[in-house]
This record gives sequence, structure tokens and C-alpha cells, in this order.
Amino acid sequence: MRKITANQIFALTWKDLKLFFKDARAMVLIFLQPFLFIVIMSYALAGVYGSGKPIKILAVNEDRGKEAEHVVKDLSGLSGIAVETSWEGVTLTRQEAEELITGGKRGLAVIFPADFSSVLERRPDEKTQAATKVLLMADPAAPASVTGPVLGAVQGMVERATFTARMPGGIDYLFDRYDMTATGISREALKEKAEGAVTRTSPEGGEKAVTVEKVAPKSMKIKQFPDSFQQNVPGYTVYGVFWIASLLAASVLREKREGTFARLMAAPISRSAVLAGKLIPYYLINILQIAIMMAASALLFKITFGRSAAGLAATSCALAACATALGILISALARTEAQASSMTVLLLIAMSALGGCFVPRFLMPRALQTIGLLTPHAWALDAYQDLIVRGYELIDVLPKVGVLVGFALIFFAVGIRRFRFE
Amino acid sequence: MQAVGTTRIIREMSIEQPVIEVSNLVKRYGDRTVVAGITFSVGEGEIFGLLGPNGAGKSTTISILSTLLDFDEGTVKIAGLDLATEKEAVKGLIGLVPQDLAIYPSLSARDNLSFIGRIYGLSGRRLAGRVDEVLELAGLSDRAGEPAGNFSGGMKRRLNIGAGLMHKPRVLFLDEPTVGVDPQSRNFIFDHIEKLNEEGMAIVYTTHYMEEAERLCDRVAIMDGGRVLAIDTVPGLVGLVKGGIILLGVPGESAETARKLFQSLDMRSAMAPDGRLKIETDRVDEAVPKVIALCKERNIPILSLEMLKPDLETVFLNLTGRRLRD
Repeated sequence: MRKITANQIFALTWKDLKLFFKDARAMVLIFLQPFLFIVIMSYALAGVYGSGKPIKILAVNEDRGKEAEHVVKDLSGLSGIAVETSWEGVTLTRQEAEELITGGKRGLAVIFPADFSSVLERRPDEKTQAATKVLLMADPAAPASVTGPVLGAVQGMVERATFTARMPGGIDYLFDRYDMTATGISREALKEKAEGAVTRTSPEGGEKAVTVEKVAPKSMKIKQFPDSFQQNVPGYTVYGVFWIASLLAASVLREKREGTFARLMAAPISRSAVLAGKLIPYYLINILQIAIMMAASALLFKITFGRSAAGLAATSCALAACATALGILISALARTEAQASSMTVLLLIAMSALGGCFVPRFLMPRALQTIGLLTPHAWALDAYQDLIVRGYELIDVLPKVGVLVGFALIFFAVGIRRFRFE
Repeated sequence: MQAVGTTRIIREMSIEQPVIEVSNLVKRYGDRTVVAGITFSVGEGEIFGLLGPNGAGKSTTISILSTLLDFDEGTVKIAGLDLATEKEAVKGLIGLVPQDLAIYPSLSARDNLSFIGRIYGLSGRRLAGRVDEVLELAGLSDRAGEPAGNFSGGMKRRLNIGAGLMHKPRVLFLDEPTVGVDPQSRNFIFDHIEKLNEEGMAIVYTTHYMEEAERLCDRVAIMDGGRVLAIDTVPGLVGLVKGGIILLGVPGESAETARKLFQSLDMRSAMAPDGRLKIETDRVDEAVPKVIALCKERNIPILSLEMLKPDLETVFLNLTGRRLRD
């Protein structure tokens, strides 16, 4: 009897694998759709995640002096930002920059006013003092995750330029107003040494006292920061894997509608064997899907997948269990294929979004971040990111794998309880 | 024969070797009783028909007998095994051909049959041999490798029946197996069923086509509203209606006058549910001119007149007052 059950499960598995690989739409949904997502979204979000391709900003220099030119030069020196001062060979004007943003060709422009240098170079004791504004013109549709860092960079550069430009005048002012002879230093010598004293490790020169460097936490043993493809592969893998639930639920309901399920139930085969025969092929397809996505990503985008193959295997197995168990749950709750389809779309898009597959969870409001933890997507994504971009090992992701197995068991238990064999 | 739908005529033959014994079977869905205490038995090697309109309870009965549905009351024995307690053992003895085309359209005919065979425990040479036999039996040997979805309706039906035969069941349940089938394929299926029956297989066949029941079935149970109204051989059932039936359409105000008139002339008459007068007579050919003449004489306008010779349709009409396809 045990041999018959094993043969029956094998027959069911083989049959469903054959049916799957004869269904072109199913293969597009499972294999191609998440891969297309990775490619499209990686390119689309390259600016957010930093794929090595810098964010392009326009610079309009209306300044009659030299200070704005220095700031533009400093901005151009920043990694991640590409400053464009001309368009099609002609120096940019404010109007042209506005037109380029309105026309959707660029998202950001920094505009230096005509009095920028004169305001910066004005001595503190001059009778007429003035303030001026550098403008960061942004397309309202540009995400804050892009405009925020650019604004920060421009502010930093402008403040540094202000300090550098106004410092000599400030020293003159102090010498003129107060008796500085006791210090034994001339105003010219002080001006020469001041910048070094403030910004360098030694007044005589040396390296910059403060520099900015991007680093990861020490516990994350990464060699370099991930690019947008590496950032997106875990999210869209998790997103894609769960679509198996839609196919599995549709397959069960189609068999019920077409009468093949009734034929099976009239045969000497146990209910658990019928369910196992449904779960195993889709579980195998899921594992194959993950393997293909990772292999293709490695080949096409030169992505590395961290240091723990065992960690990836454990996470993938738990994730596939979750997705197939969700399929059983949906097939138990839905009465028709159409119901299953709409239920799956609604559920998977919501769970993917809340779980951080589309937008990182740390960018979400705190309440949504917490709600996201109720989805298996968040845990699977976190585990994959731990392994792929944070350099963690199997032991580090085991708790997350455990939570995924828990989700799978809950989905399966509720699904079996509600499953209608009749 | 009694008035419309008032009496149940059960003539159970004495079945020496019953392979199916159904006694007071009841199935309810909530407050709705869909099988209301039916009793019948089917002999070894017999083709037993369940005839009735849609909603009569035929498919529910088949679903219960083929272990797909639980029942609320009564007993069912198949080959001596109690269905309530020995369901798994019963499953190995029965074959089911569901009303739906229970095949996988993207798999080939051979793959469909191989899959079913494996589910019933066949493997290796036995499986390959049986697949070839069933393909031959279903007339599909030359198209065995083609996806079943490419087949005509009749070929799909034959494959559907073939799948039910893979494990050589002792009892075969066929639930309206000819729905949507062209006449040529229908005849092929009938020949096929008769051949299986000759090999000793008991077959329970549900249909709402009286022609099918008349051609195939040794005995027929007429079902309506979840009840068995009559069981007998086809000649036995037809013999219940003496002569024939005339359905006479007259204006509503004249209907009662007409009914009394024909009743007094020894023609059994009653009002049918569709408002027409149903006149049962021993010699329908002679009765028709007499009815027309009497109506003319009494100034009763004739709106329509239909003459029905005795067959299972008239038996059903006589038992229920409705046609099979109503």
C-alpha cells in the first residue's frame, strides 16, 4: 500500500509538471515576469540605489563672480552626482533648465543667483549687508529619496564655500576692530594658516581633518556596496516566487471544474496523497524558478550571492514552502478560478508592497513597517538581503527561515482545514 | 396506470447476484432533500439506467455510489461491501466516468491513460499493455500521442470513458456520457458499452435521453425530485401506459367540460401541468377522430392536439405530468 501511495504521488507530480511545462502562460508568469521586473526596476531605480550611474543635475550659473563656479566644481567631484552646466553645447540658462525639467528630460537643477559671489565676499563691517538664495529646482514627481541627498550635498557645498570665502574678510574685521598685535601674527599670515588650521590635520597642511566616507556596519562583512541589480534581485525573487500560489490554486480549481479531481477522489488514493501530489510539483517548480533567477542574474548582471550557499538554500526552501502552502490556502478559500485569480493578485501585490519588495521597508512609515512583518515577504526578503548584500551566514538567517516555516505551516494548516475534497 | 404523479410503481426483479444494493438512500443539502429515500439493486453484468430530467437526483445518486459524496440515511452495498464503512475497498472495484470531460487537454491520450493507470497501481509492462488495450477499445490508437485538447467532442468522450476502464472495474458508473456528442460517436459509445457489458461488467448509466435508456438498459429506474418513481425493464415500463396519450389544448373555460366528457366515454383524462388535457386511451389511432368529432359537436375549440405513442417519454409524462426535457 505504501508503494502504491509513493507511485501515486509520483504519478500526480509527474502529471502536474508535464501540465505546467506545456502551459506557456504559466511559464511566463513564473520565470519571465519576476526577471523582467528585476531588469526594468533595477534600471528605473538606479538613481535611488546607486548603480554607479550618477544622478544628473543641471547647474545654472548666473553668478557674476567666481564662487558659484567653485561650488559647481566641488559638486562635480562628488560621486553619485553628475553636474551638467550646458545643454547641447550651450551654457544653460534658468529658463532652459526650467524647460528641461518641465519636459521631463531632467529632474533637478541647482541655480546660483547673480549676487552669489558678492554676498559671499562681502566683509562683515561693510554697511550694506545682504542675503541670497541658491535654488534647487526639482520636478515634484522626483522621489524624496533622490532630491534629499542632492539637497544635502548642495547645502554642504554652499556652506563650505561661504566659510572659505567669508573667512579672510572675517579675519580682517577682527584685526581692524580689536588689537591683535599681542598675538604676534600678521593678518596675512593668519589668513594663510586659517583654512589649514580649521580643515586640515595640521596648520602647515596634511590631510583633511574631516572627510565623508560611506561604510557598512562592521557585522556585515561586505566587500563593496550592492548595486541596484543586487538590491533588486532579492525583492523581485520573493515577489515572483509567490505567484506559484496563483497557479497552484487555479490548477486545483480547474481540476475540480473539469471533473478530473472527482475522478481522483473516486480512485483508491488517500486525500493526503492527492494533496502531496499537488504540492510537490509546484514546490519543485518554485525551487527551479529561484535557481534560474539567481543563475541568470549572476550570468547577465555579474551579481554575487554572498558567502553562504547553505543559507540561500535554506531560505529558498522555506520560501517555496510558504508560497505553495499559500496556494493550497487560496484554493481552499476560493470557489472559482476567477475568484482565486483576483484573490491572489490582491493578496500578493499587497503583501509584496508591505513586505518591502517594491520599496525598502525602512522608507515606510513606522506603522507600515510593523504591519509588513505580518507578511512572509518581509522575512524572506530580509533573509535574502542578509545573505546577498549584508554578507551574513546561514546561522544568522536561521531565525528568519524559522519564521518562514511557521508561515508555511499556518497557511497549510488553515488551507487543509478549509479544503473541500467533495 | 394512476393519475399524474400520485403513485410509485416499483417492480423490482429478483436479482440473484446483486452487485449494488441501495436501500432507503437519503441525501440532504441543508433543508433541501435531493435524494429522498431511494431503493434499488443492480445485478452482476446488468446495464441499469437512471432516467430523469435535470435535477432529478441522478448525478447525486451516482456521486454517492462512486464514493464522492457522503449520504445522510440508508445503506449502500457494492459487491457486498458497505459503502459507509469500507469506502476505500469499494473504490478499487468501481470506475467512474463523470459527466464532465475529466481529462487533461494538454496531455496526450496515452499520457492521460497512463496517469490514471498509475493512480490505480499499474506500472511497467502491465500499465503499457493496458493503455494500448484501452486506446484500441476507445478507437484512439492512431492518435494516442496527440494532445487530448485537439480531439473532437466524441473522441474526448471516448477517452473519458477509457480512463474509467483502465483498472478493469467490476462496476462502471457512467454519468450522462453522451452529452455534446455527435450521432456517430454516440453509436460508437453505445457499441462500446454493450461490449463491456458482454464481458460481465455491471454498468449504471444516467441519462435524460429516453432513446439511450431504451437501447442500452436492461432495467431503468425513472427518477424525479429525488425519488424513484418506477423501476422495470423498458417493455415493462412502457407496458404501464396502455395504448397512448392524446394531449389536447382547449380554452381554459372549456377544459373542465371536456375532461368530464372524455372521462364519461371511458377515456382516462386529467389536466396536465401545462394546462392541456391529457387523455389516456387504449387505441390512440381510433380515439383521435372521436375526440375531434366530440369537440366539434359540443362547440369546444381545439387549440392544439398532440398524439403520443407509448414509450419511456409517455411513461414519464404519465408519472409526473411533465416531459423529460421540461
